[in-house]
Amino acid sequence: MSRRLFIKKVAAAIAAAAFPAHPFAFPGSAVADTRTHRVEISGFRFTPDRLDVSVGDTITWINRDIAPHTATASEGGWDTGELVKDAQASITVTADMETSYFCAFHPMMKAQLSITAADQ
Amino acid sequence: MKQKLLLAVSMLALALQATPAAAQSPADLNDLQIAHVAYVADNIDIRYAHLALAISENPAIHEFARTMIRDHTAVNEQALALLKKLNAQPQDNFLSKQLTANSEKLVDEMSQLRGAAFDKRYAENELAYHKAVNDLVSNAFIPNIENAEVKSLFEAGLKIFKAHEHHAEMMVKAVSK
Repeated sequence: MSRRLFIKKVAAAIAAAAFPAHPFAFPGSAVADTRTHRVEISGFRFTPDRLDVSVGDTITWINRDIAPHTATASEGGWDTGELVKDAQASITVTADMETSYFCAFHPMMKAQLSITAADQ
Repeated sequence: MKQKLLLAVSMLALALQATPAAAQSPADLNDLQIAHVAYVADNIDIRYAHLALAISENPAIHEFARTMIRDHTAVNEQALALLKKLNAQPQDNFLSKQLTANSEKLVDEMSQLRGAAFDKRYAENELAYHKAVNDLVSNAFIPNIENAEVKSLFEAGLKIFKAHEHHAEMMVKAVSK
């Protein structure tokens, strides 16, 4: 192992100890480099409706409306499934995932992701 | 004869005094009567949606109808849970009876239609129905509801019904092309 790689690994270990995994993070995710983003669904809106994320991050949608909603990719590539009131679902960001999404039940509800590569 | 008539009029007057005047305006309804109107209005739209699922062959109409069933059922579940919490029973009234009677006629009318004619009538009725209900909820119900939790539920419901109105506008445009 090179000295540089060794230092990087030690730094990652320290960061992991100092900032424990978020409860929403998936097991095995690179804790030091990824984040969990929350999108609230309320009043028939996704908030925020534009979200900057990185590959490996987790996005958690939480529905606060009485009406059930979904977060569904515009071309159907990913989908949270039905979220009843106060339910939540998470999806891990991948490089090739669709960035436009909507509520499959209320198609006028739309939102957008902006994905950057993990190393950037 | 005259004495009998006077006696009958006096007894009627006493009966009217003994019974509180029935509300004849939406603004006069109490919280439990308003809750019942909303419950009935939700069920009417669910009934229209089931009719659409049975008659229409348009996938967009089916999708819209399923959303109406899903959302109005969710609102009714919240309303029933709140009434249970408040240990209250909804009260039938002139407006809930009027809504039900009107819906019977409309279901009969729409049941005779098929194809594009049904889709157009269903979408137009959904738009008109949600506009009317939203007007009622905004202007007659919410300003007069006394219980804070009931008011909060109606405010949340209004957001849903306004979204439905917007969705119905899109449906009307789509089936009118």
